[in-house]
Amino acid sequence: MQILKESSMMAFNKTVEKGPKWVIDTLKNKGLTGRGGAGFPTGTKWEMVFNEKETEKYVVCNADEGEPGTFKDRMIIEKNPKTLIEGIMIACHVITAKKAFIYLRGEYECLKENLQKTIDEVNTSDIEIQIFQGAGAYVCGDETAILRSIEGYRGHPSLKPPFPTVQGLFEKPTIINNVETLTNVPLALMMDDWDPKLKLFSLSGKVKHPGVYELKEGTPLSKLIKLGDGEPKAIHFGCFGGCLAYEQFKDIPLTPEEVLKADCFLGSCAVIVTDKKTSIIDVATNIAKFYEFESCGKCTPCREGTMRVLAILENIAMGQANSADIDTLLELAIVIRDTSFCGLGQTATNHVINAIKYFREEFEERLCKSE
Amino acid sequence: MQIRVDGKIIEVAKDKTLLISLKNLGYKIPSICYQEGLKPEGRCRLCVVEIAGKLVTTCNTYPKEGMEITTNNDRVKVARKVNSELLMSEHVQTCSIENQDHELCQIIQDLGIRESRFNPKRKWKVDLGASVIRDNNKCINCGRCVQVCATIQATYAIDFAGRGHKERVAPYSDHELNDVACIKCGQCIAACPVGAISEREHIHEVIEVLKDSKKHVVVQTAPSIRAALGEEFSMPAGTLVTGKMVAALRKCGFDKIFDTNLGADLTIMEEASEFLNRVKKGGPFPMITTCCPAWIKYMEHFYHDLLPNMSSCKSPHEMLGILANTYYAKKINKPRDDIIVVSIMPCTAKKFEITRPELTSDVDFVLTTREVAKLIRHFCIDFKNLNDEKFDPALGISTGAGAIFGASGGVMEAALRTAYELGTGKELTKVEFDQLRGPKGIKEGTVNVNGIDIKFAAANGLANARELLKNKDKYHFIEIMACPGGCIAGGGQPLPVNEEIIAKRMEAIYEEDRLLPLRKSHENPIVKKIYKDYLDHPLSKKAEMILHTYYTPRSEF
Ligand code: SF4
Ligand code: SF4
Ligand code: SF4
Repeated sequence: MQILKESSMMAFNKTVEKGPKWVIDTLKNKGLTGRGGAGFPTGTKWEMVFNEKETEKYVVCNADEGEPGTFKDRMIIEKNPKTLIEGIMIACHVITAKKAFIYLRGEYECLKENLQKTIDEVNTSDIEIQIFQGAGAYVCGDETAILRSIEGYRGHPSLKPPFPTVQGLFEKPTIINNVETLTNVPLALMMDDWDPKLKLFSLSGKVKHPGVYELKEGTPLSKLIKLGDGEPKAIHFGCFGGCLAYEQFKDIPLTPEEVLKADCFLGSCAVIVTDKKTSIIDVATNIAKFYEFESCGKCTPCREGTMRVLAILENIAMGQANSADIDTLLELAIVIRDTSFCGLGQTATNHVINAIKYFREEFEERLCKSE
Repeated sequence: MQIRVDGKIIEVAKDKTLLISLKNLGYKIPSICYQEGLKPEGRCRLCVVEIAGKLVTTCNTYPKEGMEITTNNDRVKVARKVNSELLMSEHVQTCSIENQDHELCQIIQDLGIRESRFNPKRKWKVDLGASVIRDNNKCINCGRCVQVCATIQATYAIDFAGRGHKERVAPYSDHELNDVACIKCGQCIAACPVGAISEREHIHEVIEVLKDSKKHVVVQTAPSIRAALGEEFSMPAGTLVTGKMVAALRKCGFDKIFDTNLGADLTIMEEASEFLNRVKKGGPFPMITTCCPAWIKYMEHFYHDLLPNMSSCKSPHEMLGILANTYYAKKINKPRDDIIVVSIMPCTAKKFEITRPELTSDVDFVLTTREVAKLIRHFCIDFKNLNDEKFDPALGISTGAGAIFGASGGVMEAALRTAYELGTGKELTKVEFDQLRGPKGIKEGTVNVNGIDIKFAAANGLANARELLKNKDKYHFIEIMACPGGCIAGGGQPLPVNEEIIAKRMEAIYEEDRLLPLRKSHENPIVKKIYKDYLDHPLSKKAEMILHTYYTPRSEF
């Protein structure tokens, strides 16, 4: 796997030698983009922070891998922490930040000790790298919520603008990137044959060989499924990315644009398989439970809506709903998507909307029979 | 800047949010969580419109050249409808939708919603505070109270706790409001769009004592009531209703109607003398006023180092309260126990104040302006058509100085009028201190008394007070009122309040001052009489004993 290659501080040393401009230009030329889901060009983001006049700046590594079905960052932290730390150091050097935070997912407590050891071992510079443990809230995957959480406030998302590049942590310009992106930085800088298209996919659910696969962006979905050996009815792209009917879309190339055509989001490349024996309503109820629990509570549609979505789904699952309930569910799900404050709410019902779109019969079969 | 709204090109200001501009232009856009003057938080998601195929909240969106906005298509309507149904499901459905006092209920009516498809699900414990009650069963998590308590009052007594649908407004660590550093100012009540926070009512207790023929029930009304009570009976903001208010109270059955303005005049006599004393002794400066019990509690929680700076004067209604129980009781030959004092106040903090042990229950009940309106309605009194009546003269004659206590800056102005004349022996030719008037949060000025430049300042809103206190050493005399604008915008005043209404009430109060024949506290004949017959002179032993008090440091949490 490309991502497991090591640069052994060569990239960092070269950065010190050649300066920030070289790093920014190289990252731009090589085409490294953010792996958190948004796909923003990394070089451009760094350049924005570099150009800010402020003297105090920060780097934050988003290791809050909270998306269900995603575990690629965990693999990197376990298997290639050195290169990750090197990436963070390079980021700090580029923007002359004296301090970096690794916002580690609360549930990844077990990775902390080893990560700290690696920091102590690798980081001989005067940059301070601190591991900050989240308390396990999904919404803290939102970058502004991470910043608020490190600052010691409630992990609520805040309005953008201001963007973190201008006013991030402690209101100072901040680079915030995820683990996969930062690990790719030294590799992109040092390897001549570094391939920007190679991405990590986390495959899970009803397959024989779940795990992390490194594939070229654009590989057909069916190939990944074959590698994992499964017979899907539906595919969920994590919880937030929505679901699609496998038969109809099995040849879809795994790129953000193509997946969007099926009304789904590729996001952090989590692929969860549902087989033919599993009811889509049960899956939807399960995911709805997750969102009901994880909603931060700030805005009306997400706070109240996620709870109502779950209630209606449970009603349908128990065979106590009528067809008006499906309409209410769909209307509610769309309003939650359209009007929620942050990414959590805006994506919390993709799976419901798509489930009704692709599997409406399953819903209708479960309606209250006495109607 | 030009933008296109529903097909029409309109001109909007670049630096105003779409919500403000569109509302000013008469577009009906529902919104709940946004409050004038504070940062938009984008919680309620009702103010959406469609821009470039997306639903966007207008409260935090600024116009861009060439922007095209659709304010009311089906998608927008459905979004607003669903979100208000969700809010309704939080606001217990025992609230009749016809409740025009609740902003949410109004919006729901405007949207033509009859009932929510979602039933209420949660049950919260009601926080029964001594002066402020919070009922989370009605709360729609709009965050306005939290924002006001933090931004305007810098008190941070309440915040959100829990997440998702378990999110709720709560004092620190889910304690009750009584047990945390809440100053009882009631500004959260004024902010709440659904009446989830309210004052602890004492109407029924008052109705009971009114029935008791053995009790001699006297009532006093604060300076700011007469400028606001009319609003409760659909009179325009800023109507002075002094005469009708007195008539209504008499009809309710109170035995004597007294005027807290007289208490204010007395406060000024004591406070101005105390100040002149400090000038003689050289400090401690600044001396800080103590008419506002919310400010006192704030100081007790957060500013222990200011204890020596505080004036020792009781607040005006407490002064009048103890005089009713002593001086007046003796005059009418009644035992103190048979005298019941009810204060009509703009204020929830005063409900807390009367429970302070050091104040020996001189005032038995405090009713807010809203409560007294309810009381008047309870007795089926046709308020609007009452003929004017006068306060009972025993403790009911006052000056313009007492009248302006209701507006921020007024206490200072009144004190300076008296301090100047008592200090210099000369007559003050212009009694108005214009530096102390107007809507600003911090006001300051200088006046020369006997060759010394006395620097004074007034702050309203405790966040402003905090700002002012950073430079406290610059000043000799500081007035602090907790509510923005002063008592005219107190936590017990009629709702809704906004800047325009506050300005009108303020005008009414200064108008009253202008029209009164006597405008300086030391000219008040009753005050003179009280000193002659009973107290001797300001700061006499007796005056110290009954008109002054002390303060107790409290925890920051
Ligand atoms: S009464 Fe005042 S201090 Fe107490 S919670 Fe309300 S706004 Fe805050
Ligand atoms: S108590 Fe009232 S003001 Fe406070 S959040 Fe609830 S609804 Fe809003
Ligand atoms: S400003 Fe007036 S109404 Fe407000 S808390 Fe103080 S005394 Fe009460």
